Amino acid sequence: MARPHIEPFVDRDVSFKKMTLPGFPKGMQYKMLSMDTDDGSCSMTVAFMPGYKQPPGMSYSEYELFIQSGSIKVGDKVWGPGSYFYVPAGVSLEEMSSPRGATGLLFYNYGEPSFVESDADHSKAERHRFAAVDSYENMQWTSTNFFPATAPGCLVKILRFDPRTQGFTFLYCMTPNFWQDNISYHDCSEEAYHIWGTSWMMQFGDLPTGGYFYRPPYINHGAFASKLGILAIGRTDTQLYNHFHFNPWTNVEENRERAANRILQWKPELYQWINMHGHNHPVDFEYDHGHAHGDAAHHHGDGQVEHKHKKKTRRKK
Amino acid sequence: MKLIPHTRSREVEAWLKREIKEQKARYAEIVREQDALSPKRDKWIAEFLERIQTRGVHVHYDQMRKVRPEEIPVKPKRKFKVVF
Repeated sequence: MARPHIEPFVDRDVSFKKMTLPGFPKGMQYKMLSMDTDDGSCSMTVAFMPGYKQPPGMSYSEYELFIQSGSIKVGDKVWGPGSYFYVPAGVSLEEMSSPRGATGLLFYNYGEPSFVESDADHSKAERHRFAAVDSYENMQWTSTNFFPATAPGCLVKILRFDPRTQGFTFLYCMTPNFWQDNISYHDCSEEAYHIWGTSWMMQFGDLPTGGYFYRPPYINHGAFASKLGILAIGRTDTQLYNHFHFNPWTNVEENRERAANRILQWKPELYQWINMHGHNHPVDFEYDHGHAHGDAAHHHGDGQVEHKHKKKTRRKK
Repeated sequence: MKLIPHTRSREVEAWLKREIKEQKARYAEIVREQDALSPKRDKWIAEFLERIQTRGVHVHYDQMRKVRPEEIPVKPKRKFKVVF
């Protein structure tokens, strides 16, 4: 079932556990935030104990590391709070250490956490995709650039963007007294962790510092507010589009169907080209149903959306 | 390549099993907590539906529009849940 809907979860409420997976050096602890039950990919809060040392090594899956507090040393360079690493599968990271300790977030994508000691890349590694950035010092806040956009006062720093899926990892903040009065859902999965501050959502209540969510697609969230502002890190697996509305009671099926209907309105050529089977005239709950045969674009399993129906003549009894 | 094919050891399988079990318990606890939040949530929703008629609903960035009373949705009879 991939990852379940974990929202809200506050990691401050649970204790760190020792990382005992084979290959990982001693001195690393974690709190599990969410895990994909099929492939083992997961998001964790991690703590590197003072004196932690990790030899050069690689992971079978790609991973992302964000430093929240303290510092780590990778090779000769020291990385403090706000540092972000994207390490593709099989890329060997130089020796890593944390003389005074550090906390961070570690995201393993597409597979379970793994560490294999190696000072060379795996033959299948894509080294050119490796990225490391100090997001606090070397990046500036920008507006979200989505359409439709979140309300003024929500700013982002894009840490990584996957051009194929359009999934991305980003820092976001809400300014003090931020508010946005609508309900949103997306076609993508979305997860976020509050580095600092409390925000409120109409469905889930307050999400404080250390608050986390993993939200599968099409789940309503919002309205939104934050009294003092927040700083958070977020991720999506595909393109994030804000499907805004104001019906608090719609469910996942209705939201998905509405999204599909919107694709029909926005990209009719594409919609018609895609050969769908079964229920192929999705309904937008904000508009008339359109279920009467012929009211909405549809096909009969052959992908031929443009067709005519012969009018049936009713026989008089 | 997003994932390099490899074989999981027994230890890794056992670790995954433990974590998935804990996650199931965590999910159940979240559902319990969110169900308990229902009375507050109902109040928040009522306030939201009032605000979007007076101050407006966000459409894009700072663009808002006031929702007409006849547009206000009616709560369906089915069970309402926020965690899926």
